[in-house]
Amino acid sequence: MGGMPLAAQDSQYGIRSLGTPGRWESVRARSTAGAFGPFDPLSPLMEASLADLGRLTATAMAGTSFRTATLGNTTSALRETRFPLLLLAGQVAPQLALSAGFTTYLDKSWSVSTRDSVVLSGVNKPFTDLLASDGSVADLRLAAAVRLSRRLALGAAFHVLAGSARLSAQRTFDDTLYHAVRQTADARYDGLGVSGSALVGLTPELTVALWGRSDNRLRTKVAGATTAEIDLPRMAGGGVRFTPSPSARFAAAAAWRSWFHAGPGAFNTWSWSVGAELGSGASPIRLGARGGQLAFGPGPTAPTEFAVAAGTVRAFSQGHALIDLGLERLVRQGSGLDERVWTLLVGITLRP
Amino acid sequence: MRGIRLARFGLAIAAAALGACTEQVTAPGQCPNYCPTRRLTLVDTLLRTSIGKDSAFRGYVLPHRAAALLAANLPGIVDSRPLWRFTTIGPRLVVVATDTTQGTIERADSARLQFFITRYDTLERGQTLRLYRLPVTIDTTTTFAMLDPGPFADSLVRTLPLDSLLARPGRRDSITHSVTHVDTLAGDSIVVDTLHRILVSLKLDSSKARYVAADTGKVAYGIRLSADSLASMVVGKDALGATLQWYLVADSLGVPVKRAAPALRGTTLATFVFNPPAARIDSTLAVGGVPAARSVLRLALPRPIRDSVQILRGTLLLVPAVAARGVRADSFLVQARTVFADFGAKSPLVIDLIHVDSARIHVGATDTVRIEITNLLQLWQTDSTKPATIVLSAKPEGSELPEIRFYPSAAAAYRPTIHLTYLQPYPFGVP
Repeated sequence: MGGMPLAAQDSQYGIRSLGTPGRWESVRARSTAGAFGPFDPLSPLMEASLADLGRLTATAMAGTSFRTATLGNTTSALRETRFPLLLLAGQVAPQLALSAGFTTYLDKSWSVSTRDSVVLSGVNKPFTDLLASDGSVADLRLAAAVRLSRRLALGAAFHVLAGSARLSAQRTFDDTLYHAVRQTADARYDGLGVSGSALVGLTPELTVALWGRSDNRLRTKVAGATTAEIDLPRMAGGGVRFTPSPSARFAAAAAWRSWFHAGPGAFNTWSWSVGAELGSGASPIRLGARGGQLAFGPGPTAPTEFAVAAGTVRAFSQGHALIDLGLERLVRQGSGLDERVWTLLVGITLRP
Repeated sequence: MRGIRLARFGLAIAAAALGACTEQVTAPGQCPNYCPTRRLTLVDTLLRTSIGKDSAFRGYVLPHRAAALLAANLPGIVDSRPLWRFTTIGPRLVVVATDTTQGTIERADSARLQFFITRYDTLERGQTLRLYRLPVTIDTTTTFAMLDPGPFADSLVRTLPLDSLLARPGRRDSITHSVTHVDTLAGDSIVVDTLHRILVSLKLDSSKARYVAADTGKVAYGIRLSADSLASMVVGKDALGATLQWYLVADSLGVPVKRAAPALRGTTLATFVFNPPAARIDSTLAVGGVPAARSVLRLALPRPIRDSVQILRGTLLLVPAVAARGVRADSFLVQARTVFADFGAKSPLVIDLIHVDSARIHVGATDTVRIEITNLLQLWQTDSTKPATIVLSAKPEGSELPEIRFYPSAAAAYRPTIHLTYLQPYPFGVP
């Protein structure tokens, strides 16, 4: 097998496994590298923070990544765009808030082109294989949060995992006497999950968040037949937010995910993040850094990632509309692959 | 200031939108670490017992239906001679150019016979054409044995040494670039065009072009080819067929006048006879020859292959039992086609450019013949109602004397075989 072009969206690390796990964060949380994720009511990570949302809010985000992937001696530039979040939330009773929406649970879009050869009738015949998957698994979440007291809010959510991918496999010989053939199939995915969280105000300036989630399994069906059932991870995490003044907010978060049961090449992961939101008024500045492990990789140890992020927000129409902007620089490394990504994030939030 | 901020903000959003419009997702990779765990599985196999119920049939294209006339002198192999029977002139002829007055045709003054040689062996030496007068009663049932011994032995009209005429200095036409060689003494000429076709023009005097009143000018001629060794050529037909221009003597109020016949005479019969006759069909799979032979092969693809796999290449392997005989120029194509319905010898062929594959048969070669039938196999995969029947025929059919005979399925060691290369179904969705 010789060198080959490889096409993959989001990350090559997920090709041999379930895919690339999504980040359940809004642009605001992502701009702080995820540190404010547990405290952000518009990030579908924790439900308890919905209790402080106040009024009906809808948000959506888009992200465009410019990725440089270096594998061996070859470096390639990639560009892709995703719309990973849509969420609607609002208070339905004085102490109760509900939210519905979706986010990307697993990105399953990739395309691999390989060059190889085979001896047929005594002659070496080079060929090109193109294996591709185009789709994703979405996390459809229905969440509720209740504020029990000034210090304590609780939340819970029910998750339906659903998605599909168009799969294709194609072989093209250099010798045109061998016809190019292409096989295709549509795979459908489903699964269920539940999650719960708590938001505890230790002092007016210091808040602690805790969350946990359990998903059962991801079932794959092709042409109506179940081809795989893979255990999905349990997750737990927490965070702390410190607000020394109205114009300075700091947060840190950590999470653990048990992806190990997802099969060969899967690892349990730890991730962490720290961030700050500075400034009051309409356009605060957001900063953050995060690091941790990736769930999937070909080597004996999990690949690692490190990112720094920054962003801001602009309010329009007396705060009824917000446009969040974020910029993230991400480095993933492990098993010979080096990915460096610039991601431009745009979020739109409406609060009628 | 507020306007500038808004403009900057708009620019940032526009840049993001532009970035979202296109994707570039090609990057270098390395297997197996960054490839899917499953790969496409290729199978390359020989289907030795999938072809059966094969048989051969002869008589598809008879000599008078062939697209060309075959002249050959291949001692020990075949002796083939083209025949023409020309249309009548009638008993009378217009004798005054400004009038319609006709006079009775008394005799022929001369005639000019023209025909095309569309293929000949340029390396063969001593090629000579001999023109014979034949009975006007020849028809499609006339055989070689009826004419030799007989007219081909005792009715020689002209001898044309083709090589010596070609060796004469030629005159090149500046427009058509054809080259004309003329024998001024005999009044003959040949024109070699840019497609290497030869237009032969023979002058026949009154002793050679006889006007027989009882036949009203109907005449028949035949050609015999000879050479220093093996000789074979193809004579044109239809649009490139033979013509005869008569120059006649007619009676004009007691005065004989010479007049050219008002039109070229074409042929009412253009065929060829040969000896020995085509060999009888036996258990082998005959293809080609005259009358043309075809072989019918029936394919039974294993069900898993027919229903599940994707065929990349299928090659029909045929082992010659009897090689084609003739001269080098007599090579021909064997093509494999399928049928609309399998009615055995009378199966209607599917005639299109996609579902036909062919291989060239070289005279004397006994190598395994390989015909690509990938398109046919894929057709039968996609439409199981189509009969999986292959008909082997020559191309052009009936226009080449050699035929080839392949071992049939009954010959276990050399039976027709399919070399198949296919991909097994990819295990989509399997981790």
